[in-house]
Amino acid sequence: MLVTLSYEMPELVTRAPLDIHRSTVLPEWVDWNGHMNVAFYVAAFDQASGAFMRNMGLGRNYVDNKLGMTFVLETHVTYDREMKGGAPMRFTTQLLDRDAKRVHLFHEMHHAEQGYLAATNETIVMNIDYASRRSAPWPMQAAERLEAVWDTHKRLPRPAKAGRVMGLARK
Amino acid sequence: MIEPDLGAPLDVHRATVLPEWIDWNGHMNVGFYVVAFDKATDTLCHQLGVSWEYTRDKIGMTFVLEAHVTYDREVKEGDPLRITTQILDYDAKRVHYIHMMYHADEGFLAATNELMLMNIDYETRRSAPWPDWAMARLEKLAALHARLPRPPQAGRLIGIKKTHGPRPR
Repeated sequence: MLVTLSYEMPELVTRAPLDIHRSTVLPEWVDWNGHMNVAFYVAAFDQASGAFMRNMGLGRNYVDNKLGMTFVLETHVTYDREMKGGAPMRFTTQLLDRDAKRVHLFHEMHHAEQGYLAATNETIVMNIDYASRRSAPWPMQAAERLEAVWDTHKRLPRPAKAGRVMGLARK
Repeated sequence: MIEPDLGAPLDVHRATVLPEWIDWNGHMNVGFYVVAFDKATDTLCHQLGVSWEYTRDKIGMTFVLEAHVTYDREVKEGDPLRITTQILDYDAKRVHYIHMMYHADEGFLAATNELMLMNIDYETRRSAPWPDWAMARLEKLAALHARLPRPPQAGRLIGIKKTHGPRPR
């Protein structure tokens, strides 16, 4: 049974890539090397995944109304350049693939003023039923919004850093 | 420097899920799995003699180039964690390894984290060969770890086509 979302939906953004999430490197994210610690890149990217989910209609309301949640299954990060405390971040998000329960996202983090690529994050997010905490199909409104987003995102070229397998020999 | 632990995999790191690591879904947030794993990387670096003192003494640093995490099961506030580390490969400047995070009491696998770590010169903040002591330890530990089977979570490609769960490489 598909969940119905009774709360108000935000205005849908279909422009590709999604380019709405902005953030700042917090002082507590900086480690003894004087830059944003690896883990907080993931925390920052998770917020960008949150922005994508909100655009699908699956923001905080979705959890607070005990309808469902979204869980990350897997994530791959490339660390391309250091970010210091206070640095402004701009995120773009490309939908690479989707099915009835999952989305495959590719985020890029740029220094919002200097423009350089700081990191990328490829991630799989799955819809979860609130009560059972098990995977479940997207709610109908979310699935419709996802298809509208996919319609524009599928025309983008695949990012060079997507689909990487880690190893020493390849370099 | 400490005497290196010759167990394979390295099985010395322990931690507890802190209250501030929990998100609105009531479990450890994806970012804090990586916080927990990064502390296990510190434990590995401590074995190699390139941990906190290495940076404090302005000799060098270690930077992560790339990371891959599989989230296998939820952990909750207060859960005890056991993290093991297996060296998969290394070269003059880098080490490729994988951490496995287990619930320390219940034994289940909670997550894995495959990483590529590079040695960095303190002054230039650019890549540099491992110092001699670290290279010697790396060779020794990597030889012991090479006897272990390669975990199926190493070398994964992210995609949506296959069903979730352990997948063939």
